[in-house]
Amino acid sequence: MNVLIEKFKEVLYAVLPVTFIVLVLNFTIVPLETHLLLRFLIGALWIIFGLSIFLFGVDIGISPIGNLMGGYLTKTNKVWFVGIAGLILGFFISVAEPDLHILAAQVAFVTSGAISKTSIVVVVSIGIAALLALGLFRIVYNKPLHKLLTVLYLVIFGLALFTSPEFLAVSFDASGATTGAMTVPFILALALGVSSLKKGGKASEEDSFGLVAIASSGAILAVIIMSIISKSDKISGSLQATVSESTSIIGPFFYKLPSMAGEVFLALLPLLVIFLVFNSVSFKLRHRQFVRIMKGLVYTFIGLVLFLTGVNAGFMDVGTTVGYILASTGQPWIVILIGFILGLVVILAEPAVYVLTNQIENVTSGYVKRTAVILFLSIGVGMAVALSMLRITVPAIQLWHYLLPGYLISIIMMYYVPPLFVGIAFDSGGVASGPMTATFVLAFAQGAAEAIEGANVLVDGFGVIAMVAMTPLIALQILGIIFKYKSTKGGLEVND
Amino acid sequence: MTNPSDVQQFELCCAIVNFGTGSKVIHIAKENGITGGTILLGKGTAHSYLLKLLDLAEVRKEIVLMIGPKPATEKTVQVLCQRLQFQKPNHGIAFTMPLSGVFGSRNGYCDNLSESRGVQNTMYKAIFTVVDKGKAEILIEAANKAGARGATIINARGAGSHEYQKLFAMDIEPEKEIVLILAETSAAEPIVNAIRTEMNIDEPGNGILFITDVDQAHGLRR
Repeated sequence: MNVLIEKFKEVLYAVLPVTFIVLVLNFTIVPLETHLLLRFLIGALWIIFGLSIFLFGVDIGISPIGNLMGGYLTKTNKVWFVGIAGLILGFFISVAEPDLHILAAQVAFVTSGAISKTSIVVVVSIGIAALLALGLFRIVYNKPLHKLLTVLYLVIFGLALFTSPEFLAVSFDASGATTGAMTVPFILALALGVSSLKKGGKASEEDSFGLVAIASSGAILAVIIMSIISKSDKISGSLQATVSESTSIIGPFFYKLPSMAGEVFLALLPLLVIFLVFNSVSFKLRHRQFVRIMKGLVYTFIGLVLFLTGVNAGFMDVGTTVGYILASTGQPWIVILIGFILGLVVILAEPAVYVLTNQIENVTSGYVKRTAVILFLSIGVGMAVALSMLRITVPAIQLWHYLLPGYLISIIMMYYVPPLFVGIAFDSGGVASGPMTATFVLAFAQGAAEAIEGANVLVDGFGVIAMVAMTPLIALQILGIIFKYKSTKGGLEVND
Repeated sequence: MTNPSDVQQFELCCAIVNFGTGSKVIHIAKENGITGGTILLGKGTAHSYLLKLLDLAEVRKEIVLMIGPKPATEKTVQVLCQRLQFQKPNHGIAFTMPLSGVFGSRNGYCDNLSESRGVQNTMYKAIFTVVDKGKAEILIEAANKAGARGATIINARGAGSHEYQKLFAMDIEPEKEIVLILAETSAAEPIVNAIRTEMNIDEPGNGILFITDVDQAHGLRR
């Protein structure tokens, strides 16, 4: 039994901080209406159960599929096969990602239909597919990650010169949106499956990371290229940050449940189909292993539905309200400070963070401790939210004022940081911008924008996820530098 | 050659504990005269009907290997048992194995290769089996049927003489699993036989199995 209790405890520590902070806010500066508060607490409960079940599901369902697939692709030893399989996997996984559909709908809305929702979904998916295949090639041909990333980001910034600032925000958000709770664990496992075949511990360790980073840059590229081609760089229209009117406490949960179940099922479907096809063609797992993976997928489904329902029904309205009330106080520093604190604690409850830190511990045999990674990630995300709030309160600051120096610094740092940490850092960018950020933090930012004169909810809302995806790159590379200098005698990368 | 009486007897002390406890084990060992240790990650199996039904019976474990002179390892094992409560189920196990040679340890060296040590009849045996990845489960099932009470799986990599491969630009070493089973000496024989028949281990390419003596073992389920 203590396996269950352990996991439960772990998740409890992840979800309690954010719950605690909101409660403190409630009794001090932001008194919430009773039904909102109760809904928030019930939501937290759903999230705790959902996250526990989801993590088990990833452990025995999603990750094994990724590992098997990665190993199998490589063992065929055929370039065209790896390429085509990478394309197919990348395309179908991202086409089914619920976050991408939300983003695409928003983009279609603000461009007044000049870019249709379907075209955005398809183009982004093609971008991810192409780059996923490229990322797989990188691992099998032993090309260094930092060089590939440098080239990719230089191309992105080169193209970015031709796009409007608004679309820059959209494109960087797309990279965060497509790497959702289901995609990240799978791509992480896929990379591990390929690289764990490698001879020599060091190469195999380093190449376990970085695939998420490469794949998500595909989304940025795709959106930028699309906005250049379609020449639609104006963002018009506006969005109201809304808090649902209903005062029912349980109602929203049951209202959200079916739509969440539908979304998660859709996201899981391509994985399931691909697994079944590959299993009948090549893996030919023994019955027990097959049953276990299927059970894992069922856990993933149940866990993610509970989690997302909890977040959407319980957390979102609270986020908006807190942001709105804080910004209405007219004291910008309060919004920025609370934004920082919320960023610190929200990231703890992000599902993919657990999957990433778990893989880091497994791959490095516990050398890189989970707590260290989470600490730096947390500070990074806190900074991201605080900076975003600053940007909302001071209209003169534009998103690219942050993104350009931020990415420049991370690219330069890559050349001084041990390769293992380059991979970890760039992957954690995609990991940090998961469902928790996309709902709670975004709602908080939109609530604040609503209350501030001259801030546009929609335009300022875009870009928050981009920030959350960017700051971890710097934070975790700093951790890498600390590791490099602290370990006087070490297993990893000291003399590099 | 050193006078045999100067040569200390060295032992390998091995502790298998829940994930996250490994550093604590090394800490305790250092207090008791062992100079260092190596931690590997492994998977253990939990015994619970409910967990088996849910297919959640696999637990992450840490395996700590420590080498030291016999008095130090003996003391370490005792202290570990007390401090980490190995007598309770699922709290971990610790055992020691005699070594025939040690070099590079700060405590000195020992080289018993040439002398035959009169090992007293040991109560336990440690059975190591190296198999291709994915086969550990079948192996453990067979071993459990033959009386084994648990097993630890260590992920590993390695290539037999005929297995070396190059895929694309990368050198490949096939993934392996090492299965460690501790068993009473009387139970070891049937377990080994069960593994040999189940895995066809005597045929080349199906894995290797070796057995070592264990001096002391604590924390095993009776």
